[in-house]
Amino acid sequence: MSSAGAAGTSNRTYSFKVVLLGEGCVGKTSLVLRYCENKFNDKHITTLQASFLTKKLNITGKRVNLAIWDTAGQERFHALGPIYYRDSNGAVLVYDVTDEDSFQKVKNWVKELRKMLGNDICLCIVGNKIDLDKDRHVSVEDAESYAESVGAKHYHTSAKLNKGIEELFLDLCKRMMETAHAEERAKGNGASQSAATRRGVQIVDDEPQATPAGGCCSSG
Amino acid sequence: MSIQRRGIHLDQSELLCKKGCGFYGNAAWQGFCSKCWREEKQRQIQEDWALAERLQREEEEAYANRQQKSQPQAAVTPFNKFEERKNKEKSSKVHTVTKFFTPSTKTPPKKDAAPFDAHSGPSPSSSTRRHSCLEDERATQEFIDFLKPLKSGREIFKQCRAFTEGMVYKQDMGADELSECVQDFYQNLSDRLQAQFKGSSDHVESVMDEVEKYMMTRLYKAVFCPESTDDEKKDLAIQKRIRSLHWVTIEMLCVPVDEDIPEVSDRVVKAITDVIEMDSKWVPKEKLACITRCSKHIFNAIKVSKKEAASADDFLPTLIYIVLKANPPRLQSNIQYITRFCNPSRLMSGEDGYYFTNLCCAVAFIEKLDAQSLNLSSEEFELYMSGQASPNWLQTRGASSSSSGSTALTQVHNQADLSVLDKREEHVRKGARQLENDLIDWTNEVEQKVQSALESFPAGTPAPAGTAASEPAPAAPSAIDSENVENELLPPPLQPQVFAG
Repeated sequence: MSSAGAAGTSNRTYSFKVVLLGEGCVGKTSLVLRYCENKFNDKHITTLQASFLTKKLNITGKRVNLAIWDTAGQERFHALGPIYYRDSNGAVLVYDVTDEDSFQKVKNWVKELRKMLGNDICLCIVGNKIDLDKDRHVSVEDAESYAESVGAKHYHTSAKLNKGIEELFLDLCKRMMETAHAEERAKGNGASQSAATRRGVQIVDDEPQATPAGGCCSSG
Repeated sequence: MSIQRRGIHLDQSELLCKKGCGFYGNAAWQGFCSKCWREEKQRQIQEDWALAERLQREEEEAYANRQQKSQPQAAVTPFNKFEERKNKEKSSKVHTVTKFFTPSTKTPPKKDAAPFDAHSGPSPSSSTRRHSCLEDERATQEFIDFLKPLKSGREIFKQCRAFTEGMVYKQDMGADELSECVQDFYQNLSDRLQAQFKGSSDHVESVMDEVEKYMMTRLYKAVFCPESTDDEKKDLAIQKRIRSLHWVTIEMLCVPVDEDIPEVSDRVVKAITDVIEMDSKWVPKEKLACITRCSKHIFNAIKVSKKEAASADDFLPTLIYIVLKANPPRLQSNIQYITRFCNPSRLMSGEDGYYFTNLCCAVAFIEKLDAQSLNLSSEEFELYMSGQASPNWLQTRGASSSSSGSTALTQVHNQADLSVLDKREEHVRKGARQLENDLIDWTNEVEQKVQSALESFPAGTPAPAGTAASEPAPAAPSAIDSENVENELLPPPLQPQVFAG
């Protein structure tokens, strides 16, 4: 079974789940379509949908399967967030550099993710639409210092010009691999690790899910 | 029968072994004593084995005879579906019947209750038992066929069989514990397979799919919507909720599909059919496949309407709309069943898992839906929920979402006007009825008076009585006159005469 985060022997494939969060109209869909299909506003997009996309990567000889989960960005669906990002290894939080509100929204997401998932999840904060730099409303310094303060990486991208997207996902994959390794080392033996993996699967609304995992890490 | 045994009263015969060997029976052994139960169990297992072997032989013979395999299979499918539905009905019936008996589990099970308990006892006479047996046999056969070419196939089969049979005796465990057991089993088996196939995950996945199919087909009846949970209550709650939200329109949810396009409406219908069909499947993976098919239809509908690939922003509202329109049967039970017993790798990161997560989101949204989430004012929402108004009455299809609010408001006003008119009409009607009654009363009263008047006077003098009533003053002299019989004989009264001069 190629469960998320399950690594170990070098011939095993990593499988990561990444959620895409952000307000509507910040370009989440364009970003992921550019990454997986290398297309932008194109009539010839082959996928039927842009909400669940996969990408196979090969990073330093290791195979990585990336599953990218788009989420509905409308405000009315905000409360559903935990159902989406449960068990995810990474989160890409997208804002529009021309829209101050969308950056504020990202801050809310970060707070929520850290509260619910702790440090198990790798966060990327992404300022999209840098091709519209002249209308920028979120300053580079603010965004970067904020990202650093919450332990996230910050990236500038443009789906239109295809800038910064490859780097973003490649970096994220490397970080998720490191986290997976660290977790494995912390857990020591495979038995407890497999049990923890399994526990994560159950889609039950219980918040303290993150706590036992954290306690497990610190004790080991 | 249950009424009679409501008390603690127990017949001596009920405590004894069902086989009549003279020893005491036990509820945990279906009313058998330990010895008879063991024998019974052994017999059951042997029967199962014999059946499996016979089936295998038959299958092999049939396979040898059969030249074109695909055709007869296709012909069989509709029948299978029908069977499935029949089974499903049966199972739901069984559930309700067993429910009746659950409060009395503390006392030993009644003999007449046992046959209803299809999944926990060896009662070959029951028809449900026979039906599930057929399903079991088919699943077993398919599983054996699948495992045959594998090196370790026999071992895998043995383990799965033993585990599945062991589950039958864990009936009284909570649903979460059962889920834990199954998930542990999946995990251990897949770890072992992983080692065996040297990390070929695709291979492991395909074996695990078959394992899940075999096990869950056999366990379905016992673990779907078990009585230890409130799944059934939740099913009814969400069903009622969706019913009360029948008025929600495409515009309120901002669903980007245009149902005026024939292809789109066709897709919508197919999506609804698929999500409803989910309930008829037994295996979690097949249930998930229904959700995935439904999602694909939705994506097609969005693509045709919007001419671009659907994002999650488009997909989720549409899925919510589909769920509201479909009101799928036993929705919560199905979600819980999939969550508890599906192969975890599928749920966690696969495409099926994504669509399933979205369905969970849709259900969560519907449960918590309020005026704000539909861009309505709370008054409007209340009106719609209470059924006093409906947005569909005057609204034309295709009206933009921004105008729908104001249309709704004018409708509310119209509604109010109509109700005032209604009240007035009612008032007028009431008055008319009152008047009619008054008239009738009056007529009766007059008649009564006349009657009583008639009775109070002798029968011989009807005509003067009438005049007496109307003209009392001159009546008196005339009455005196009338007594005078010789009246006519008297000379006329003297007239004063005037003499000239």
